Amino acid sequence: MDRNRNNGTKDIRLVARGVNRMPFGKFLYLLVPWLIILAIGMYAIFLCLAKGLNQTNMDNRFAFGVWIFLDLSIIALGAGAFFTGFLVYILKREELRAVLNSAVVIGFICYSGAILVLMVDVGQPLRAWFTFWHPNIHSMLTEVTFCITCYLVVLSVEYAPIVLRNKKLKEVPAFLAMQYELHRIMPVLAGVGTFLSFFHQGSLGGLFGVLQGHPFAFREGLAIWPTTFFLFIISAAAAGPSFILLTTWIASRVSRKRLVSDNVFALLARISGSLLVVYVMLKSIDTLTWLNRTVPSLGLSGIGFFLWAPFNIWILFAEIIVFGLVPSLFLLFGSGRLRTGWLVASSVMVCCGIVLNRFVMTIQTLSLPTMSFDRFMIYTPSWQEIAAFLFVVAYGVIIYSLSFRYLRLFPQEIEMKVN
Amino acid sequence: MTNGNQVKSLTGKKHNFGMVIDVDRCTGCGACMIACAVENNVPPGPVDATDRTGITLMRVYKADNGMDFPDNESVFFPVSCQQCEHHPPCVSVCPQNAVEVDPATGIVGQIPVRCLGCRYCMAACPYHARYFNWWDPVWPEGMERSLNPDVSLRMRGVVEKCNFCFHRLQAAREKAAAEGRDEIKEGEYIPACVESCPTSAMTFGDLLDEGSEVYRLAQSNGSFRILERLGTGPKIYYFSEREWVRNIAEKDPASALKRGATTD
Amino acid sequence: MLPWVYGFTWQTGNIIFLSIFYSVVAVILGSFSIAAIRAFRDLKPDRLDEIRWHFDFESLPEFAKVCRHAFTGEVNQRVCRNGFDCRTCKVHSKITGVPRITKSVYSEGEIPFGLKISANCLYHRGHTWVRVESDGTLTLGLDKLAEGLVWSQCEADLPAVGTRLHVNGTGWYFRKEASRARVLSPVDGEVIAVGGRKEGFYLKVNPGNDSDLRHLLKGLEVGPWMTSEVERLEMALGASDGAVSLADGGVLLDNIAANYPEQGWEDILALMLLES
Repeated sequence: MDRNRNNGTKDIRLVARGVNRMPFGKFLYLLVPWLIILAIGMYAIFLCLAKGLNQTNMDNRFAFGVWIFLDLSIIALGAGAFFTGFLVYILKREELRAVLNSAVVIGFICYSGAILVLMVDVGQPLRAWFTFWHPNIHSMLTEVTFCITCYLVVLSVEYAPIVLRNKKLKEVPAFLAMQYELHRIMPVLAGVGTFLSFFHQGSLGGLFGVLQGHPFAFREGLAIWPTTFFLFIISAAAAGPSFILLTTWIASRVSRKRLVSDNVFALLARISGSLLVVYVMLKSIDTLTWLNRTVPSLGLSGIGFFLWAPFNIWILFAEIIVFGLVPSLFLLFGSGRLRTGWLVASSVMVCCGIVLNRFVMTIQTLSLPTMSFDRFMIYTPSWQEIAAFLFVVAYGVIIYSLSFRYLRLFPQEIEMKVN
Repeated sequence: MTNGNQVKSLTGKKHNFGMVIDVDRCTGCGACMIACAVENNVPPGPVDATDRTGITLMRVYKADNGMDFPDNESVFFPVSCQQCEHHPPCVSVCPQNAVEVDPATGIVGQIPVRCLGCRYCMAACPYHARYFNWWDPVWPEGMERSLNPDVSLRMRGVVEKCNFCFHRLQAAREKAAAEGRDEIKEGEYIPACVESCPTSAMTFGDLLDEGSEVYRLAQSNGSFRILERLGTGPKIYYFSEREWVRNIAEKDPASALKRGATTD
Repeated sequence: MLPWVYGFTWQTGNIIFLSIFYSVVAVILGSFSIAAIRAFRDLKPDRLDEIRWHFDFESLPEFAKVCRHAFTGEVNQRVCRNGFDCRTCKVHSKITGVPRITKSVYSEGEIPFGLKISANCLYHRGHTWVRVESDGTLTLGLDKLAEGLVWSQCEADLPAVGTRLHVNGTGWYFRKEASRARVLSPVDGEVIAVGGRKEGFYLKVNPGNDSDLRHLLKGLEVGPWMTSEVERLEMALGASDGAVSLADGGVLLDNIAANYPEQGWEDILALMLLES
């Protein structure tokens, strides 16, 4: 570790005071692989936009492919932004200020990345404004589009003061004043963000819950919302803090520094764990209701959905027990007792569980046959699909790295040097 | 959504167009698929198109009784958009009103110029009857002269589906108007697939007209609909004298697992 | 979207949905506009100094914000939440109202790390001292720690005579090439005289009628505070880096700045002068 303060950091004028950052050359060197991925991904996106979606392996049956699945996943993982904001500004859990900035950046990356992929995913991106101009309010997708767009604006406004607080930028009086004033309206934005997040996380679940044509995804519900609406909200709220815990840990490992105190980790774990326990409980009730009531009322046997290899009954077991109940108990009862490594491992499992749930809702739903003379189908994404998604991952890594280097993401970082 | 009264005032009468397909008479020849594609200006698929990416607004599926030779019997199901009557799954999901039900005719219409290409409707349709334009439409040299002038072309990146050859209804209405009639006559408007069927397996007409052939067949004993249990009220009826064929429509797809059902 | 756009209906659902959407947009745009307008109004030197101090104070780590009464042991552990402004602090007025036995390890005049503390000076947390002169004016200067840190050959942008200073606002700047360091003003008042390098950089300030110096450290508080500041400096320098260490408790190096890379030094100096 380079103990010599910021030795060889050519960009030291941009680095926050009182923290150590690796030399600029090394930083660039570490970013090179991501820049290469970014370039390849950009080419793939260009292909998809220029030549059309025939560049993907999606087809008329797999109208939603790996992009939608991963979009849903990263939006769920990005829920940490709204949830941390909600806890800090609305419920006044001041301890979480230690990860708030990082959570906002993560949220911004997840949402902007998801919207970017969505823009490639639709057949006519230039018509995106149609949804705003003549919306069909009965569609869950309309709700999603409106909320995600508004929320990205909110996240940008939340991200702005973090950027303006950069050592060099804040020397500009207008920026200094702006970041201060933006900070003052933050509770309002946190409230709006929470409201929007509730609705679009829910609507993303509703997206599949309303598919009466697909009994595998269809759920009955309360009022206009199927149960998946509520399950997605809770699961996203549970996964968000886990993902924050995970990214903080990764940032801490990569930079070889302690960034937050252990009790922040423990608090995140406890929040994530307790929400996940509730989620697992509700998800189990929902699954049983669906198996014993919804599906039979449609003249099917629930077990029939789990006979199609490779998506056999293991997938249900893995989603609810292995990646649901197990890590939730670890996080809930282990926070404060277990070492951080265990909490991180559990968080990884939580994130995997949420991703698996989104996979089941998108890919498995579409792969199952609906008519008896229909086929079970699977699909393999094309390299363009993978590359376009990796573009978002690389974009996220680069944005986060730059933010970590030049912005003050972890206010406790200086204090952590003492302990 | 659409203003029903406005359309109704043009025709004076409300219709509910539907179709009955006698699968006992269907030979699986695929003439309806070809006629549909030609009528609706569906471009020929590029070389790398597959049966999963091509556009077949009408598609013939094969099913059998699962027995071994010599007891094996098969049946063909021509499946197009089933023109769901009650809460069509594709209509409510479209974020920008690009799918609309015409209240005067009951026809579920797709408006490609308004379509964003999000494909949510395709995911919602239990009949897989919606198709996406994965490629730019390209016609081989000379073939563009055979295009149907009554049907607009669709661009890359939008969804399309069967609309019961709506342009034929408009043509029939114009003809009726020219002859001073308020209403079209039975048989004046039929979709291309019905017209082309060599065994006359398909019957088309107004399900509200109790004197029509389509009404009689739809109400007859052997008529059934695919996935009626989903409650979407499809307006394409199938007809068979054979009980096992009628059972296929509602059978749990999982029960066909061992039989290796296929769409080929 | 709008009543005259195709597809719009006056259905209840539509109205509810659009009302919520427009309300959300209004709240987002409204609050953003309010922030922008306020920011525009903030573009006045005094107000900017206030905001800068607010920001700098918020960015200080907890251990640099220890309450002065924790130094003397009057309270066990306390972190300042009031921007080091004891004049408006309820805890301060409560504590100072009751005489207590203190347990400071330093008696008045004792000097940690060879830093001279003057008994007749009041100290500001931004490393300036204030001396009340017999004519009622105040003299301000850099304390020994800051003096040792400032570049040996640098320029100072001292305020012009007549400038009004504000507590925790800008006192003056030190400048060396592209680097600069900001010294916080410890008091309110009007500058009536300045002293340059030869005189050791001081300002004479007329505090006016309502001079309130309760926020400045004095007596037993100064020693422990200075010790904690030296610790903070050590940490900023990178404690295990042998090159510049104060750990021997010896005399503070005369000119640490000279031994340190030019660019990195600005940050260390700024940190010690409470700028983040």
